[in-house]
Amino acid sequence: MRSGAFARAGAPLLAAAMLAFAPPAGATGLTGPEVRRVLQHGPWPQPVLRDPSNRASGQPDAIALGRRLFFDRRLALDGALSCAACHVPGRAFTDGRARARGRALLDRNTPSVLNVGLARWFGWDGAADSLWLQSVKPIVHPLELAADAAHVARLIRADPALACRYERAFGAARLAGADAEALLVDAGKALAAFLETLVTGRTPFDEFRDALARGDAAAAAAYPAAARRGLALFVGRGNCSFCHFGPAFTNGEFADVGVPYFVAPGRVDPGRHGGIRQLLADPRNLLGPYSDDASGAAASRTRHVALEHRNFGEFKVPGLREVARTAPYMHDGRLATLRDVVRHYSELDEDRLHADGERILRPLRLTPQESEDLVAFLESLSARAPARVIPPAGAPDECTTAEAAR
Amino acid sequence: MSGARALARRLAVPPLLALPLAAAAAEPCGARLGAGVERAESARYVVAFRPAPAPIAVGRAFALDAEVCPKRAAPRPTGLRVDAHMPEHRHGMNYRATVASAGGARYRAEGLLFHMPGRWQIVFDVEAGAEVERAVRDVPLE
Ligand code: HEC
Ligand code: HEC
Ligand SMILES: [Cu+2]
Repeated sequence: MRSGAFARAGAPLLAAAMLAFAPPAGATGLTGPEVRRVLQHGPWPQPVLRDPSNRASGQPDAIALGRRLFFDRRLALDGALSCAACHVPGRAFTDGRARARGRALLDRNTPSVLNVGLARWFGWDGAADSLWLQSVKPIVHPLELAADAAHVARLIRADPALACRYERAFGAARLAGADAEALLVDAGKALAAFLETLVTGRTPFDEFRDALARGDAAAAAAYPAAARRGLALFVGRGNCSFCHFGPAFTNGEFADVGVPYFVAPGRVDPGRHGGIRQLLADPRNLLGPYSDDASGAAASRTRHVALEHRNFGEFKVPGLREVARTAPYMHDGRLATLRDVVRHYSELDEDRLHADGERILRPLRLTPQESEDLVAFLESLSARAPARVIPPAGAPDECTTAEAAR
Repeated sequence: MSGARALARRLAVPPLLALPLAAAAAEPCGARLGAGVERAESARYVVAFRPAPAPIAVGRAFALDAEVCPKRAAPRPTGLRVDAHMPEHRHGMNYRATVASAGGARYRAEGLLFHMPGRWQIVFDVEAGAEVERAVRDVPLE
């Protein structure tokens, strides 16, 4: 699967760096094992592999259709909201709010959709096993776009630009004759194809990491000392990279890091526990008829995912690229700044963790200097200039102009 | 993993080759699984296994092709269960492997995924009628 790319990518570079940095290079202040951990957080960017469950994945016309749909308010039943209203491109595809506001206040924080093509599960609770299912959900969610299949099918068929792209991506016969549910799922697949193209840029951390891999001490020295000390904490005593693992700084799984999960007095967010239950009951999951993966291999994770009591209060490990641009933090946005997040890990309330909880989490009791270092490191995970995505809404579509010229 | 491979080599020495029930008694347990076979051992069984894809990597789903070989006069295996956990972190996988018989004493376990670097243990429960015997094998992951 996609994660395979993570594993393969690290190996040859690892060997090279071990040669270059054994014994531990005093210049970087990192020990041999720490250097190996650092190298595993790259290289960047990672290739986003085609999603076998989505025949539109990687297809230019589907990507163009998905891009239009993402910014199109008409996708909402009342025309009031688009995907981009919450996943705002200028805010690293988040909304800056603690909890998302749709037609009412939602329970959770809007995550960025950058690098989402590398993920295995979607949503804070992983209630979606494919990016296209995750893209269908907000369309029909009553507190988000609140549309239904008939509304989406009508919209695509009535709008020349959408219809033109749809026809090219999915075929004229489907555009003319498929049932509305099929068009809704196709819309999700087109949105997913677009989202897969949203990949973050190179960061100061990546320059440092690649300099380490090359054994280029002069280039490595350009990385600020505070960020380097923070990185040493991240891969060392902080144990952060056990969960925030690999090039995207997430292992793609779920954990309870002691963030309270009360939504309102007497009401809790069950996190991963609820997510697995929702997923298995969802007719659009990868075990259902809408997956395009005839081999069934893509559905393996869905077939094998285990529902355990400990999943209660677990949330998805967020990737940390561009994290300085995605405040506020955690599944309910309760922490306003990266300093607050670092304080959370520093003062971790062990009573709040499950009794059988993961021992890699302990209060770190960081000094003020160490806290600042960790923040400096997290800030070095952002590209100097954020990715720019220009909404196509209103602009003429190349597809329709080409058709007209025929 | 080099320590692990050394262990596998050590387990493959002649005494374990005397497998009265195996037709191809001249071969070490799991020889037919191909290159890169590793082994776990209990008092009365050897479980040879090979990950696919190999090697096991953090965050990459994998399957295990396995062969169970009784030592000396141990009863014939009738089933196999496969699970894994991280002893230091005191947690298991987020997935439950399914095991299908692949004929004879061979099995295929699917749906495993190790989601963290560190020391994992693969746990094989060999079933022989009502009896269950456990063979465990360490898998250190970078
Ligand atoms: C009202 C605000 C809002 C709107 C509108 C919205 N989203 Fe989201 N989005 C969220 C929230 C909140 C979550 C987290 C959901 C959860 O955990 O259950 C989310 C999660 C996601 C994720 C998963 C990200 C991850 O890392 O797991 C994707 C992908 C996504 N949305 C795409 C879309 C698309 C496509 C649309 C339009 C069809 C859309 N969203 C509309 C708020 C919104
Ligand atoms: C046991 C796994 C685990 C470890 C170890 C861990 N994290 Fe996290 N991290 C998570 C999870 C899960 C969340 C989301 C929690 C939630 O929303 O309830 C998270 C959230 C975050 C966030 C907020 C990101 C966002 O977009 O909201 C940051 C920043 C972060 N962690 C940094 C760190 C640092 C720094 C360390 C080490 C001191 C660390 N993490 C250790 C699992 C882990
Ligand atoms: Cu662990």
